[in-house]
Amino acid sequence: MHGVNDFVVKFANVNGTGSASANFLFAKAIFRMGVPVSAKNIFPSNIQGLPTWYEVRVSEKGYLGRKEGIDLMVSVNPQSFKSDIASVKSGGYFLYDSTKKLHEEFLREDIHFIGIPLMELCNEAFTDPRQKQLFKNIVYVGALAKLLNLDLTTIEGLFAEQFKGKEKLIIPNMKALKLGSDYVESHFSYPLEFYVEKRDLTKNKIMIDGNAAAALGAVYGGATVVSWYPITPSTSLVSSFEKYAQKMRLDPVTGKNNYSVVQAEDELAAIGMAIGANWNGARSFTATSGAGISLMNEFLGLAFYSEIPLVLVDVQRGGPSTGMPTRTQQSDLTTCAYASHGDTKHVMLFPSTPNECFHMMADAFDYTEMLQTPVIVMSDLDLGMNDHVTDPFIWDDNRKFKRGKVLSSEQLNTMTNWGRYLDVDGDGVPYRTIPGTHPTKGSYFTRGSSHDEYARYSEDSDTYKRIVDRIAVKFETAKKIIPGPELFQTSDTSDKALLFFGTTTDSALEAIDTLRNDGFSIDGIRIKSFPFSSEVDHFIQSHKEVYVVEQNKFGQMRSLLINELNIDPHKLISVVHYDGTPITAESIISQVHKHVFLPTN
Amino acid sequence: MGRTCDRPCEPACRRGRVEEEPVAICRLKRVAADFKDDITHLLPDIPKIKNGKKIALIGGGPASLTVARDLAPLGYEIHLYDNHNKGGGMMRSQIPAFRLPAEVLDQEVNYVLDMDIVTHFNTYVKSLASVLDQGYDAVFVGTGAPKGKNLEIPGRNEGGSNIHIGIEWLASVAFEHTSSIGKRVIVLGGGNTAMDCCRTSRRLGGEDVKVVVRSPFSEMKASPWEKEDAMHEDIPILDNHVPKSFVVENGRLQGMMFEKVQAVYKDGKRKLVPTGEAEVFIPADDVIIAVGQENKFEWIERDLGVEFDKWDMPVINSTSFASTRPGVFFGGDAALGPKNVITAVAQGHQAAVSIDLYCNGQDVNDRPAPNVKLFSTKMGIHEWSYDNDVTVDQRYIVPQADKSITLRDRKKEVELGFDLKTAFKEAQRCLNCDVQTVFTEINCIECDACMDICPTNCITFTQNEDDENDLRMKLLVPAINNTQDILVSDSLKTGRVMVKDEDMCLHCGLCAERCPTSAWDMKQFTYNTAKAGSLSFV
Amino acid sequence: MSFNKPKFAHPRLPKNEAGYTRKYYEGSLSTLCAGCGHDSISAAIVDACFEMNIEPHKVAKLSGIGCSSKTPAYYLSNSHGFNSVHGRMPSVTTGANLANRSLTYLGVSGDGDTASIGMGQFIHAVRRNLNMTYIVMNNGCYGLTKGQDSATADYGSVSKSGHMNTFEGIDLCALAIQLGATYVAQSFSGDKHQLIPLIKGALAHSGFSFINVVSPCVTFNNNQGSTKSYDYVREHNEAVSSLDFVPVKEEISASYEHSVVTPIEMHDGSVMQFHKLSPKWNPEDKLSVLSALITAKDKFEILTGLLYFDKESKELHEMLNTTDTPLNQLTEKELNPGNEILSKINASHR
Repeated sequence: MHGVNDFVVKFANVNGTGSASANFLFAKAIFRMGVPVSAKNIFPSNIQGLPTWYEVRVSEKGYLGRKEGIDLMVSVNPQSFKSDIASVKSGGYFLYDSTKKLHEEFLREDIHFIGIPLMELCNEAFTDPRQKQLFKNIVYVGALAKLLNLDLTTIEGLFAEQFKGKEKLIIPNMKALKLGSDYVESHFSYPLEFYVEKRDLTKNKIMIDGNAAAALGAVYGGATVVSWYPITPSTSLVSSFEKYAQKMRLDPVTGKNNYSVVQAEDELAAIGMAIGANWNGARSFTATSGAGISLMNEFLGLAFYSEIPLVLVDVQRGGPSTGMPTRTQQSDLTTCAYASHGDTKHVMLFPSTPNECFHMMADAFDYTEMLQTPVIVMSDLDLGMNDHVTDPFIWDDNRKFKRGKVLSSEQLNTMTNWGRYLDVDGDGVPYRTIPGTHPTKGSYFTRGSSHDEYARYSEDSDTYKRIVDRIAVKFETAKKIIPGPELFQTSDTSDKALLFFGTTTDSALEAIDTLRNDGFSIDGIRIKSFPFSSEVDHFIQSHKEVYVVEQNKFGQMRSLLINELNIDPHKLISVVHYDGTPITAESIISQVHKHVFLPTN
Repeated sequence: MGRTCDRPCEPACRRGRVEEEPVAICRLKRVAADFKDDITHLLPDIPKIKNGKKIALIGGGPASLTVARDLAPLGYEIHLYDNHNKGGGMMRSQIPAFRLPAEVLDQEVNYVLDMDIVTHFNTYVKSLASVLDQGYDAVFVGTGAPKGKNLEIPGRNEGGSNIHIGIEWLASVAFEHTSSIGKRVIVLGGGNTAMDCCRTSRRLGGEDVKVVVRSPFSEMKASPWEKEDAMHEDIPILDNHVPKSFVVENGRLQGMMFEKVQAVYKDGKRKLVPTGEAEVFIPADDVIIAVGQENKFEWIERDLGVEFDKWDMPVINSTSFASTRPGVFFGGDAALGPKNVITAVAQGHQAAVSIDLYCNGQDVNDRPAPNVKLFSTKMGIHEWSYDNDVTVDQRYIVPQADKSITLRDRKKEVELGFDLKTAFKEAQRCLNCDVQTVFTEINCIECDACMDICPTNCITFTQNEDDENDLRMKLLVPAINNTQDILVSDSLKTGRVMVKDEDMCLHCGLCAERCPTSAWDMKQFTYNTAKAGSLSFV
Repeated sequence: MSFNKPKFAHPRLPKNEAGYTRKYYEGSLSTLCAGCGHDSISAAIVDACFEMNIEPHKVAKLSGIGCSSKTPAYYLSNSHGFNSVHGRMPSVTTGANLANRSLTYLGVSGDGDTASIGMGQFIHAVRRNLNMTYIVMNNGCYGLTKGQDSATADYGSVSKSGHMNTFEGIDLCALAIQLGATYVAQSFSGDKHQLIPLIKGALAHSGFSFINVVSPCVTFNNNQGSTKSYDYVREHNEAVSSLDFVPVKEEISASYEHSVVTPIEMHDGSVMQFHKLSPKWNPEDKLSVLSALITAKDKFEILTGLLYFDKESKELHEMLNTTDTPLNQLTEKELNPGNEILSKINASHR
């Protein structure tokens, strides 16, 4: 066992029993005690009745990626007993509801069983059936608090915050907490050999999910029109936006909304509305996942070719088709990079923390208007729906929205030869006008069919080529605007490197640390955006072997790198993880080892 | 030749309705003439063996030359009499060389004279009877209006040597009897002759040349472009000045006195009323009187059967140009009074038709019909056999030679004419009057496409009205130009009619282009006036 | 192309109160087949906008894909246009409208674009009561792909190739009424006299205005046996109402003597003089209108005129409680809550 502040607790619950908030309470309490913690909800595509899990990793070193091996399994779901018991590492613990005796066939010699009669305790203490169910979760949190040395006052403080305004709920919650805690106190020795000790390591950090952070970024980025179609795991992004907007976006005089949210009839309509709004000069976005991206393809091509700004958030999930809607993957990279028929390409941003979700989302509105092409924020379920310890959000109050090349009525007055698709500045980005700006100047016809510099329909081959070539120039301009990579290099530069992005970052950094501690020299690069800048190219060229870490089967990032940067495929070694759970450092390390120690001729 | 024409066609040009200026038809004709190759092979063959009829033409001006040109190819033996030594008549004697160079005139006149015309130059015909006695089958009188009007006011006789009659003076210059004039010149009159006189004066030493006219500037008879050209040569035009007397001192002309007047209009008539200001003295070394011209028929004996009216003008049928004596025809200024060259030519053509009829024993009032043809110009979708790309394009300006050169050389032509490129552009301004919009009711399905597409909104589908004026007023754009007929179709399937106002039609063909059933077609219309000899082909 | 539309206008063209001639509301030359009904509808749109003194730059014209969707290029060349993707005009218009509620939104679509590929978006725009005018140029066939039957082709209609349609045609007006459209009209491209006031009323109406315009396809569906040909529609057109549109500020002059005239005041203060030709049916009662439509269908009649109107219409922005200032005109000041609020949010996540 690792001991203090370094262990994994996993909860096995039944979906729809209110366990998630109890589990988050547990994780948040540890965060409040100053110890880095990561919490990952592994849930089914179901509302009620199917197994759901919640993993909490406690790491004094601050490794927040998922970790293999369960030190303590809290199981309140007999459906999954067998596999849950099997997943506990040798010497670990299995906490279960002993109201019903554990069947002998489940018993394992090499682990400890902690039986607590959760249901029985609740039945005695509470009368309302719903309360009995809900407080069972709090009882086990109370038990864990005792077993792992959590501070009960911290938890009480969390209750106080959670039930602000509904203070009478604090008492039964505290009662349930005490039930668990007292039961452990009177029946078991505590704490266990691994437990939590107060630290000061999360000072100034916050704990929030990526979807809420991105939603907040959209509020700060000035989004006013949001259209969407519900799909997991992007749904909570838009609901968070609406929640924030309801508080922060009301006209102080009339109380009317300085925003609008429309739930569309499907993803096609959702993106269509966002395109219509952006065309008409509002900042607008839509968020989707899974099949939603496929459905939005046609419209992405329109926005690309008619050069309409658009922010699209893809909270990726397990594909293909319906795939695993509630599991995480980074498997929409190639489809998003080149979404839609014909020659298309899109700007992508890869946030890796909620803090980046916030900033990249706000920035995305600037980028898309500066470039007049869609910008896709590539989040995923792990980042979007799980609470992560992250840096707090900061906004520069002097910051102005960068609206890009939008002509005002005054500017139009001074212009003689305006063409919607004329490249005046040589950066591939033309000047646009918003309907209603000028009584006689600046009107044009937006179309997805081939057009000339003045937006007139044209099937002329040379004209077509000119426009397409000019649009390609925009992607060179994009590289100068969107964020470049983050490098992790030691002074004695290695000839090997890990390349990673988004939610593989935590585990990749942990893997680099571990490998280096083992004497294996390795560098790291985190990709933040697509198209790739020359820095990425240069980094890869200056290393012999680059391990491309990603959460999909076919190595989509690797394909993009080969395709875009013309890199020798032998140089890029795929390190993939695609079972729907977040990648672990162990998995990365073992795949690197496997390659390094592969016999060569 | 496109130089001297009074351009009666240009005011009718529809380009002048949709824009301000009509197509420069006259100047485009000049381009055609200027840039032509040898055309002699295109001219009609002149029969060596004549038809036995002899025609006398009295006067060698445009009217007579036209008769000669029409009759000679038919085998007539033509005798042309003129008192000058060359043909051309007033075109030579009155139109200055800087407007119409002698070589251009010579070429054109010779095209006609070379048609086996027997010329009797330097022959002043003193008696019509003597001509008739020579057994001509017909006689054509094209003697013009050779007498300039005089101005009998005080001082006219005393200052006589420095007071000239406009057309006589111009002729004297043209035949190089006169080569100078005083520094200060007054030209009296407001017509084109006055303009020619003043501009000629500038070329013969006149430095301070003024045109003084009775009427207001806007009512002067001279063509607007002639006035502009004069003013361009630093010749002021003083209007509303009525000449009162010539001031002569010591037998030498000093200038003239004028009374200032203003035009007052009453019952549509103009009256010049003195302003009451003191008379104005304008100094001058020479005065040229160009206040009009008149005919001179003392050579026609009044007992020949050629009747004269109370103004001592021959009685002429304005269609056949026959006089009251069979076999004697008139044309040009001699026929119906002074007009212009193109009118003289037109009358000459008609007189030639009459002579041909007369000589064939036909009734001169039984005129041959013009030759008319109408055929579709449609070649395919979006393709028509005429240029229908109508663009907004202002009239091009004809370049002129520099004044410092033209004022020194009387014979140097002022207008340079269009170059070919500009001429082509100017010609493209043509709105294709020759291509007509023809509507066939039976084909129309009333889809309204033509009404919607017409760029000038000249097609309307509507319920008919009993009163044409009511109908005119309810069109998309009311048709207020009553001089232009409107086209009203028969009743269509829904009971409506199609009404087209030709006034602003561009003949762009879009109505026909957008018509799914070819109810509209763009048809080319050709019209050839009947000329002498048409009879033989009927 | 060897022909162009001359820039000339009639020198005596009248100007409207906005200071523009009708010509200013026109577009480029149509590339549709000569005689296409759609061109007449384009012309009616031009007339309606001109007569309503609409400032062209305050109009956004949108469309999907198809012959009908090409038409925005042929009218209002001084308005911004958006030719989107097939069947998706409603969503683009919804977004545009959300961004700026102060403009007039004019969407045109065809029977394929609306009743087939775009049916989903169409009905949802209807039920949201989006403030727009939605005109379907309905020719019952797919012109651009050479004349296949569309979903609005009537049962029994015979195509140019002689094939008879054996499927039920979708009645878009009935559908729109059922789904809550607040202004529903039907007309014929060959009857501008009726169509223009209907378009004006639709533009003035606040909420979803739907006009289904039967528009013959001269090339593929104007044959004997077609129920959408010029001849057939003229013979079977049953005008149920006529409409006079009286713009704001103008005097209303009643001109009907024999039947009931209902003045309907519009959102913007203009008035529709509604002239009902049938006593059996009430344009404010859905049930009677739907029943009239079904009866007409049985009798092979095409009911035209303003079919249904809802005075109580509340458009999408009212339902969303959006602020009066167009959202696209809000600035950092209104949109960005600032760092102080952000630090409070941070605190709530500690």
